[in-house]
Amino acid sequence: MTHKFPSAEWTAAYKDALNNNAAYREAGKGWTHGAVGMVVKADPTIGLATDQAMYLDVNAGECREAKWVSRAEAETAPFVIVGDYARWKDVITGKDDPIKAMMQGKLKLTKGHLPTIIRYVESSRQLVKSASDVATTFVI
Amino acid sequence: MSAVIELAPGASENGLAIMLADLLKQNLEDHPHKVRDFEKLNGSVAIVAEDALVALTLEFQRGKLVLHDGIYGIPLITVRASSDDVMNMSLMELTKRFALPDPRGPINRQVFESMKAGRIHSYGALLHIPFMLRLTRVMSVN
Repeated sequence: MTHKFPSAEWTAAYKDALNNNAAYREAGKGWTHGAVGMVVKADPTIGLATDQAMYLDVNAGECREAKWVSRAEAETAPFVIVGDYARWKDVITGKDDPIKAMMQGKLKLTKGHLPTIIRYVESSRQLVKSASDVATTFVI
Repeated sequence: MSAVIELAPGASENGLAIMLADLLKQNLEDHPHKVRDFEKLNGSVAIVAEDALVALTLEFQRGKLVLHDGIYGIPLITVRASSDDVMNMSLMELTKRFALPDPRGPINRQVFESMKAGRIHSYGALLHIPFMLRLTRVMSVN
């Protein structure tokens, strides 16, 4: 079954994909630095009237909760990554590497301690790569 | 004296420049002893993340760092590497004594392997070893 990105259903499927990713469990086992917010910027031309976001409560290689939330709620997480729809699509489909996308300014860490993200670079990569395991329908 | 780190006009759209500016600011806050090395750095380093098609120049001015988009001026050292290797350079393990790159560190071994295999090219590093060692200490999150 495919899920539309972004949506609450997609977020729930993403939580399962994360918890089924052995590489994420291993790479993220030392991560105890708090939740991660992922924000898709509004784009009325593709039907996203407002910013959409996910709040991922990740800890020690496990996703304890994944919620589809407002940007304001996502920004309560200690780490927040922001990008537009096309960039998230490229990362989710594996066309782009998340770290490379950050270097290119396509994804931005707008909140959080960058040295911590860099120490857990493989965990961050697996966090995003798990999304490619979700059968996804994109709006563009 | 506190560290001043700023983006030159045009660098605010360069993701790598933003990342390195944030990284260095937070790293110097976390490890205040690294400020001494930061204040001694004087000269420019260009970094090219080849697969990401991103380049920037770090212009150190004894206690101040300006990050420029692309290659700016004539850098003392130029490093060309993949985005993974650029990230690894921020993770290099340092010895407890003298804070030199630890040859036993797994990340350092990956970096040295990449150098040997020609995946990291560094121009000018051997001519500026004290500068390179200080830069490694300042950049490393360890």
